[in-house]
Amino acid sequence: MIGARSGLRLVQDRIATLRRAVVTEVEDRNRLIYHVLRGGVVISVGVLLFGFVLLAATGGEVPDHSIAPRSLIGQLSRFSPDGYLSLGVLVLIFTPVVRVFLSVLSFIDERDSKYALMTAIVLVNLITSLLVLA
Amino acid sequence: MDLLTALVLLAVAAFLAGVAGSYLGIGGGVFLIPFMTLALGLSIKIAIATSLIGVIATSSGAASVYVRDHLTNLRLAMFLEVASTLGAILGAFFGLLVPEFYLYITFGLVVLYAASTMARVRETARQRAYRTGEESPLSKRLGLSSVYFDQEDQGVYRYRVERPVAGFGVSAVAGVFSGLLGIGGGFIKVPAMNMLMRVPMKAAVATSNFMIGVTAAASASIYYSEGLVNPSYGAMVIIGVFTGTYLGSHLMEKAKASNVRFAFALFLAGLGLAMIVRLAFTGVPL
Repeated sequence: MIGARSGLRLVQDRIATLRRAVVTEVEDRNRLIYHVLRGGVVISVGVLLFGFVLLAATGGEVPDHSIAPRSLIGQLSRFSPDGYLSLGVLVLIFTPVVRVFLSVLSFIDERDSKYALMTAIVLVNLITSLLVLA
Repeated sequence: MDLLTALVLLAVAAFLAGVAGSYLGIGGGVFLIPFMTLALGLSIKIAIATSLIGVIATSSGAASVYVRDHLTNLRLAMFLEVASTLGAILGAFFGLLVPEFYLYITFGLVVLYAASTMARVRETARQRAYRTGEESPLSKRLGLSSVYFDQEDQGVYRYRVERPVAGFGVSAVAGVFSGLLGIGGGFIKVPAMNMLMRVPMKAAVATSNFMIGVTAAASASIYYSEGLVNPSYGAMVIIGVFTGTYLGSHLMEKAKASNVRFAFALFLAGLGLAMIVRLAFTGVPL
């Protein structure tokens, strides 16, 4: 007969092993996606804060309309706060697109053709909507 | 109300929407849109565009934590995103054409529905557990079944995904609502995944949270190109949501949340009614 303490340890070991199996199975791809998603939001917040600093420095009005992507570069090179606020928003919109693109690559890498195809369809949908933007 | 006060209030609202959104697996748009239209007096189309930005921020902030902690079913998410992104594009074009009056009504009804789904009781460990029986052939071919680790009771749960085709259809509908109303559509997807597809609640919340960012990105760029995204509002929402999701996603993983959910459900029901009642008192263009 086993004591309560060693029984508990047995259960804990079992859970730890299972958990490790779960973790290693999906580790790499999950880590990458985590960094892309988090990184995108962090960059976006950084650009927005920079925009607000410029706004405070120039003492301009808070912008009430977005800058179209094609005229964005001119705005950015002139350090206009409007341009950087729009850029921050655009970076955020692009973050999921980058994530999906990396997922296509990772499914191709795993030779998982079904999922590579499905992810590619999602990417095409996203690019279609971005073409409206451009 | 002057613009600066409005911006600060919006950031605070976005923070709360971020907490609630990541905690409940919804985008937070169901809170933000009533706030922007009723409290700040913005036009509903501007509110929808701004809310979509908030949805992407909620999804990217919260979902990243869930993905790292292996709550998200990535395959299931990719499968359903095929439907939801298509729906979102259609929804966004439709949303640009529809008069505001109908957006108010639809939004009010959708939010009332969301309140009713959220009032439901949470599952027990027994319900999470693996069900025996035949796995759906499509689900098997796509390898949708998965495992997740639940911090609440330290259990590893294996689950299979049932009725993939029905789930696919529901995701398309959720995508249309997302593009049309500027919400994540999580309150449609989470119950669908949980009750229809038999995905455990926490995995469903995490997977939904992961999906809504991609869905919202598809329609957000359409609203942006129409000049409906106001970068100042967008910035406030992103910053507010970013901080809010950080808190919300940490709460969710350890949560026993039935009381909180019920409170939110009541709150949501109030917002939905307020949107509909507003129509009776103010002149929204038909």
